[in-house]
Amino acid sequence: MTKFRTLIDALNAAPGDRLFVTAWIDEDEREEVTFAEFRRRSRGQAKLLRDHHVADGDRVVLIMPQGIPVMTTFVGAMLLGAVPAILAYPNFKVDPAKYRHGLAGATANLAAKVVVIDEEFPEDLLGYVHLGKGTELIRASAGGGSAGEVELAEATIQPDSLAFIQHSAGTTGLQKGVALTHTAVLTQLEHLVARLKIDGATDRVYSWLPLYHDMGLIACFMLPMVSYMHVVMQSPLDWVMHPETMLQIMDEYRCTLAWLPNFAFQFVPRRTRQRALPLFDLSSVRAVINCSEPVRSSSMKEFHEAFASMGLKSGALQSCYAMAENVFAVTQSDIPQASGPTRIWADGPRLRNNKCVVPVGEESPGAVAFTSSGRLLLNHKIRIVSDSGAVLPDGIVGEILVKSDCLFEGYYNRPDLTSQVFTDGWYRTGDLGFYLNGELYVAGRKKDLLIVGGENLYPQDIEEIVAEHPAVHDGRAVVMGLYNPDSGTEEIVVIAEVENEQLLAHATEIEQQIRNNVVAGLGVAVRNVFLKPPKWIVKSTAGKAARSSTRDKFLREHPELNIEPQETLA
Amino acid sequence: MSPEAQQIAEHIALLIRKPDMVIDESTPLVSSGLIDSMALVDILLKLEDLTNMRIPPGKVQPKDMNTIALMFATAQRVGKPRK
Repeated sequence: MTKFRTLIDALNAAPGDRLFVTAWIDEDEREEVTFAEFRRRSRGQAKLLRDHHVADGDRVVLIMPQGIPVMTTFVGAMLLGAVPAILAYPNFKVDPAKYRHGLAGATANLAAKVVVIDEEFPEDLLGYVHLGKGTELIRASAGGGSAGEVELAEATIQPDSLAFIQHSAGTTGLQKGVALTHTAVLTQLEHLVARLKIDGATDRVYSWLPLYHDMGLIACFMLPMVSYMHVVMQSPLDWVMHPETMLQIMDEYRCTLAWLPNFAFQFVPRRTRQRALPLFDLSSVRAVINCSEPVRSSSMKEFHEAFASMGLKSGALQSCYAMAENVFAVTQSDIPQASGPTRIWADGPRLRNNKCVVPVGEESPGAVAFTSSGRLLLNHKIRIVSDSGAVLPDGIVGEILVKSDCLFEGYYNRPDLTSQVFTDGWYRTGDLGFYLNGELYVAGRKKDLLIVGGENLYPQDIEEIVAEHPAVHDGRAVVMGLYNPDSGTEEIVVIAEVENEQLLAHATEIEQQIRNNVVAGLGVAVRNVFLKPPKWIVKSTAGKAARSSTRDKFLREHPELNIEPQETLA
Repeated sequence: MSPEAQQIAEHIALLIRKPDMVIDESTPLVSSGLIDSMALVDILLKLEDLTNMRIPPGKVQPKDMNTIALMFATAQRVGKPRK
């Protein structure tokens, strides 16, 4: 049983005069609220929503930029017993085609009572916000509600009622809303507080993470809200543009905790290397936690080497394994731990041939490095299973299955998707990994899933678009992710068979058209398109393009592209 | 093209690894898939340097960056003079 019945009860017990959120805009501009002011503004937003007839159980979709207004509107909806969901706000980094696709799907599935957008939401995208019968579109007030105290009769919320819906990342996955109860969220947060030894009076979170993603919403909003921590946040766009501001903010506010996806551990050092930075002081940082993508020790090492001179301790670099379906974390490395997460080296051939992790020395030829994602949180269990579902012993790579006391019960309004991912109460993550000496190691994505810059991409989605080109032989397209050591992430490579050899004379033109089609359909950029003659792609016995065999053939022809990250399975 | 526009055109051609490609002020860049999100960040930083403006990225949409002409118009519309 959790300490508080609901997230609202936890917020209501927060010390009113303690700082809760600082929204850092630039050197001259920032906005701050205490817990008392946050509660007051949330009640103001609740009143606004109630005026639009939002009530217990209604879904409220928020499409607002990063900042305090979206947070108070989120809690305002919860105060009424409604179920908020934050969706990505459009920005210059997201192509409109992809954005429209995700927005239309997600808003339709949620069948919201109200969709809240901000004053500056682009008019040309409004048509893609699904407004079904009974859905109202409203614009949030920039000021965060009226100035005085707001009288509001709060709804009586039950611990097992839905608190909110968070969306799992991905192109098609954007439509998968993970519905979570108050109990599930509070349970996860209590586990995290215990494992991270959080003290709300002395810890402070730094975040640029978007609130429509679990890392931003759970670790950097809900966790500070119930453990009474101060969080200093900036917008993801400001961070991308000027990543040195992350160091500046951590220094200025003496931040102790941050969560980052793997690519950020390379992005920040590489982007800031050429700039003459002041000597920021990062000695206050207890943990910068690498989660969401497979943890790569080379990325963490690069980050540490870049900023050790600023007082960043090597033991501050930590790891976890997290997913929206489990509210957030499944595992977390122990803190403090002088040298960061455990690393092991596995014999390469036995790993590739038998999926068996046989520890060898770091200098052993062909050794493959793995970085631990930590130990299981309390009341969490995992199973590693083979393709046939057999439970595998420790040290063997297989699919990771999860069971816990904060696991979601299903995707909102999608029983079809829910039934696909559960087996006897175990959630099948689709990730590959192994368990060894009480710690989980995540090896990579299952089979074909592409992880590009932190986004999960399904090759089928891209292949479908490629195959629509008249020059491409029907069904003869294979999409793969190839690791780019410069960006620390995978990039998309397309292989397509043309209808006849003569078409190869127009390869440049066809390649560009395929790129245009993919970007128009999904909003993702393709690194390379390779057109091949008829019958080049390897087929399966069922006559379909066989991805892994085609990949092997392709890499034999283009060995210069075969750069596997050291820690990833071949 | 102005010298600044010429500089950004050359910068983009290098970014997309097509140094011989002719990019003029009205060449579609985003809608054609020639540049991706990470390239847009680079271009916005270059635009900040060339215009000596600070450009709040939250006020920029992809359509605002589709051509070089639009990029400079966007900098004038939303940029703040640098200190």
